[in-house]
Amino acid sequence: MESAAGGAVNAPARLGQSVWRAVKFTYPIALVVLAWAIAARSGWVRPLFLPSPQAVAEQFWPLLVGGEIVKPLAVSLWRAFGGLVLALVIGAAAGLAMARMRWVRWGVDPVVSFAFPAPKIAFMPIFILWFGIDDVSKILLVAFTCVFPIIVSTYHGATAVSRTVIWSAQAMGTSERTLLRRVVLPATLPYIFTGLRVTVPVALITAYTAEMVAGGGGLGSALMFAQRFFQTPAVFLYIILMLLSGVVLDQVMLAARSRLIPWQPEEDA
Amino acid sequence: MKAIARRWGSIAAVLVAWELAVVSGAVDPTFLPAVHTIAAALWELATAGEVWTNLLVSTYRAVVGLVIGSACGVAVGLMMATSRAANGFFGPLVAMTYSLPKASLVPLFILWFGIGDTTNMLTVFLATLLPVVVSTYHGVKAVPQVLVWSAQAMGTSRGEILRRILIPASLLSILTGMRIALGFSWVLTISAEMIASKTGIGKLIFLYGESGAYAHMFAGILAIVAVAYTADRAMIWLMHAALRWHDAAPAVGEH
Repeated sequence: MESAAGGAVNAPARLGQSVWRAVKFTYPIALVVLAWAIAARSGWVRPLFLPSPQAVAEQFWPLLVGGEIVKPLAVSLWRAFGGLVLALVIGAAAGLAMARMRWVRWGVDPVVSFAFPAPKIAFMPIFILWFGIDDVSKILLVAFTCVFPIIVSTYHGATAVSRTVIWSAQAMGTSERTLLRRVVLPATLPYIFTGLRVTVPVALITAYTAEMVAGGGGLGSALMFAQRFFQTPAVFLYIILMLLSGVVLDQVMLAARSRLIPWQPEEDA
Repeated sequence: MKAIARRWGSIAAVLVAWELAVVSGAVDPTFLPAVHTIAAALWELATAGEVWTNLLVSTYRAVVGLVIGSACGVAVGLMMATSRAANGFFGPLVAMTYSLPKASLVPLFILWFGIGDTTNMLTVFLATLLPVVVSTYHGVKAVPQVLVWSAQAMGTSRGEILRRILIPASLLSILTGMRIALGFSWVLTISAEMIASKTGIGKLIFLYGESGAYAHMFAGILAIVAVAYTADRAMIWLMHAALRWHDAAPAVGEH
C-alpha cells in the first residue's frame, strides 16, 4: 500500500524532472535554430546560401514521397552495417588470436601499428579499382576503417583477463577452445563492445564520406547531387538526416549495451 | 637488432609475398602493381616534386585546421568544465554534432567560400574541435578538487589556477584528444580534397586513379600514409616530452 502511494506521489515529480531535463538539453539547439531562422529571414544572406529552417523542413515531404530519403538512407545504413559486422568478426577474431597466440601477434601487431593512424579514406581509389563504386567497395572500406580499433580493444581486453582465472580453468582440464569460448570471450566482451561503440559512428561517417567522394548511391551521393543542382534546402536536409542517424544509432548502442552486458555499467564517456 | 627484425619481419614478409604474387603472374599487375613498380613510381614522384608540393598543401591545411581547432577546443572544454552555464549550453551541441560526418559540410562550404583552402581548413577545424573539447572537459573534470581548493585557500587567482593547475593537470587528456584530432585532420583534409579541390595529395591520388596510373596512385597513397604515421609518432614524442614531469610529480598522483 505504502509503496503504491509513494509511486503515485513520485510520478508527477518524475515526469516534471524528465520534462525539465528535455528542456535543458534542447534549449541550445533551439537557440541555434532560432539564430539560423533570424539570419535567413533578415535578408542579409541570399536563400541560395542559407535557406530558412522552414524551407528546409518543407523539403522533407516531397523528398520522402519521391523516394529520395528512405532508399538512400537504407543503402548507406546497409553499407555501414555490412562493413561494421565484417570488421567486428575479423577484428574480434584477430584480437583474440593475437592475445592467445604469439605468432599471430608477431604477424599482426606491426601491421596494426602502421595502419592504425593511416587515413583510410586515402585507400578509396584502391577499393574502387578492385571492387567498383557500388556496395562492395564501400562495405570493405568501412570494414577496413573499423577493424583496427576493434582489434586493439579486443586485444587489450583479452590480455587483461586475470591469469589466475585462466590457470584455474586450465587446472580443471579446460581445453583451449572451451577456455576461449567460456572464459576469455565473455571477459573480453565489454572491451569488444567499447571498441564497437567507438566504431559505429566511424562506420556511418565512412560510408557517407565514401559516397560523397565516389558516388554510387546512398545519402552521401544524394547530398552531392543536391549541391550540384544548387538545391540548398535539400543539402541542409540531407546533412540534418546524417546528423540524426548518428545520434539515433549512438542511443541504440547505449541501450544495447545495458541489455547485452548488464554486469558492467557503462563508464561515463 | 632483434627488436627491429621482430618489428619489421612481418611487414617484410607481406611485401615479399606481394612482390612474388605479382611477378609470378598470379595477380594481374593492373590491379595490384608489383612492389618494385610502386617503389619506382614513388622515386619518380619524389624527384619530380609533384608529390612534395601537393603533400605540402595538404599538410598545411591539416595543420592549420588542427591548430585552430585544438586552441578553440581547449578554450571551450575549459569553459564547459569550469562553468555550469557553459556546460549546459555547449554540452548538448557537442553531443548532437559529434557523430555528424564533417565531410558532409564540404558541399555547403563550397557554396559559401568556393573551392580551396578555406573550405578545406574549416572542415578540418570543425572535425578537430570536438575531440579536443571532449577530452579537455573530461581532463579538467578529473583534476582533484583538493588541488583547486588548496590553491584558493592560498589566495591564488582564477587565471592562475587555470594556468598553473587545471591545464597542467589535464595536459595528458588534452594531448590525447589532440592525437585523435590529428588523425581526423588527415582524414578530413583528404576527404575534402577528393570531394572538391584543385590541389592536395587527396586530389592527386584520385587523378592518378582516374587516369589509370595505378602505380603512381599506390605510391601517392603510400606517401600520405607515411606522412600521417610520422605525424602520429611526432605527436607521441611531443606527449612524452610535455609530460616528462608527470610521473615525477607526486602531487598529481597522490589524490
